[in-house]
Amino acid sequence: MTSAAIVAEGLVKRYGAATALRGLDLEVGRGEVFGLIGPNGAGKTTAMRIMLDIVRPTAGTVRVLGDDPREGGAALRRRVGYLPGELRLEGRARVGELLEHLARLSGPVAPGAIERLAERLGLDLGRRVGSLSKGNKQKLGLVQAFMHEPELLILDEPTSGLDPLVQQEFIALVREAKESGRTVFLSSHVLGEIEQAADRVGILDRGELVRVGTLDEVRVGRQRHVRATVGSAPGLRDALAALERTRDLRIDERDGEARLSLVVEGDVDHLVKALSRFEVRDLLIEEPELTDAVIGYYRGEAK
Amino acid sequence: MNLFRRELREGRAGLLGWSAGIAATVLMYVPFYPSVGGSGMMSAYLEAFSPEVSRLFGLDRMASGAGYVQATYFGLLGFLLLAIAAITWGARSIAGAEAAGTLELTLAHGVTRWQVVTESALAMLSRLAVLCAVGSVLIWALDGPARLALEPVNLVAATVALFLLTALAGAAAICGGAVSGRPAVATGLGAAVAVGAYVLDAVADLTAARWLARLSPYDWAFGRDPITTGFDAGGLALLAAAVAALLLLGGWRFARRDLMVG
Repeated sequence: MTSAAIVAEGLVKRYGAATALRGLDLEVGRGEVFGLIGPNGAGKTTAMRIMLDIVRPTAGTVRVLGDDPREGGAALRRRVGYLPGELRLEGRARVGELLEHLARLSGPVAPGAIERLAERLGLDLGRRVGSLSKGNKQKLGLVQAFMHEPELLILDEPTSGLDPLVQQEFIALVREAKESGRTVFLSSHVLGEIEQAADRVGILDRGELVRVGTLDEVRVGRQRHVRATVGSAPGLRDALAALERTRDLRIDERDGEARLSLVVEGDVDHLVKALSRFEVRDLLIEEPELTDAVIGYYRGEAK
Repeated sequence: MNLFRRELREGRAGLLGWSAGIAATVLMYVPFYPSVGGSGMMSAYLEAFSPEVSRLFGLDRMASGAGYVQATYFGLLGFLLLAIAAITWGARSIAGAEAAGTLELTLAHGVTRWQVVTESALAMLSRLAVLCAVGSVLIWALDGPARLALEPVNLVAATVALFLLTALAGAAAICGGAVSGRPAVATGLGAAVAVGAYVLDAVADLTAARWLARLSPYDWAFGRDPITTGFDAGGLALLAAAVAALLLLGGWRFARRDLMVG
């Protein structure tokens, strides 16, 4: 029994000619909330599927709660809650019936647990599974992952398709899981969606982990796209051009208004303060996505 | 047995539909035995066709109730419908769920790959058994009114033969799906076994090549004419062994391969 919830060493997965993972090394401690971040196609889903024994690695090893997923088999999977990244649900069965079926496979589930989770996430147990919207399917996926209070939660893009209120409820579920000593391993292609929840994050790029660290450590290099509409004023252009950690500044002035866009690295405090001296009519600061540029930054640093 | 129970529950409507189809087939043919087979009309047909054609369509045996039921239901339409049902169920249970992407969630729970194959097979076999029972119970109910004069034991023997023969097609579909994860392969393998068995037997009949017929599962089931002679233990054992072999092959491969994922 190791103290780590997940240990991957040199994990390689090839699908024919395509390589999804090229030597993934990763350690997630027990009781930790770990976020795996990377653009689509980076190998996040493949890594998680190997941990559930849905697919088998081409090379390397992984230990989940101390066991090899293949040898651990069904008994190991009962201790893990999994939300597939591409959750497909079909059929005429009702939501409650499907959840009870899954509970019988992986149970025991505490009485009332399904109802409580469904209530919190706003999932109607009486609906037919095949008729659910994407967001409701995602809620069902979350309920089935959490309902048997597994030691380890492996959640692939858990917030995708959820509206902001439900996302907050999800974050609360993750916090509660952590407080009760359980481990959460989740993925996203957007840093902002999981930063509230994760203790540590790993950046996965083209099948390799290029950086692991606490949020503060990883946050440094992240970039935000900013757009703003500001009343034209002398000195605006100079004030913006003088800002540190910005690039791709574009200013389009017409009819007494300046529409500007730029990319800011790191926090936006200095930008907001600089703008405050002008008449700000509109300001949009996008959530930091892991764009190719960010990945490139980490990629360069890893070498 | 949770997967088995769920599959049966989800398939209730389908099973009802198939049962109605089987019942309709029996009702379309069996009640007319007195006016077709038992009336001497068959003898007229027999004179009109060459002996080869008569044998191919089983006309030569239609002069008895047992032969009539064999030629219309067990050997032809019952076989066809039940094989299609078995192949449909067999292809859907693994390959269908895999292609639809729903199998990933099931396998992420406390379930083994072997369990999926075993319980899928049991669900297919159970439903097939229900359909076989529906057809044969109805035939037995019509035995008196249609003057078939069937021996109950022989009717059971023919039913078991039909069950195992069509179960073989269903097992081939499960095997194809378990090995490949593709519904087309599953359906194709199931159909190949069913059609291959029938054609091989028909060709063997036409060419009078007994050795060829012995290769056909259709011959294992009906070669010794169970509806008139009763249980053929050897043939049934061969069928059961082939069903088991296909399921074992499918399970062996399924336990070792990656799930087909998008």
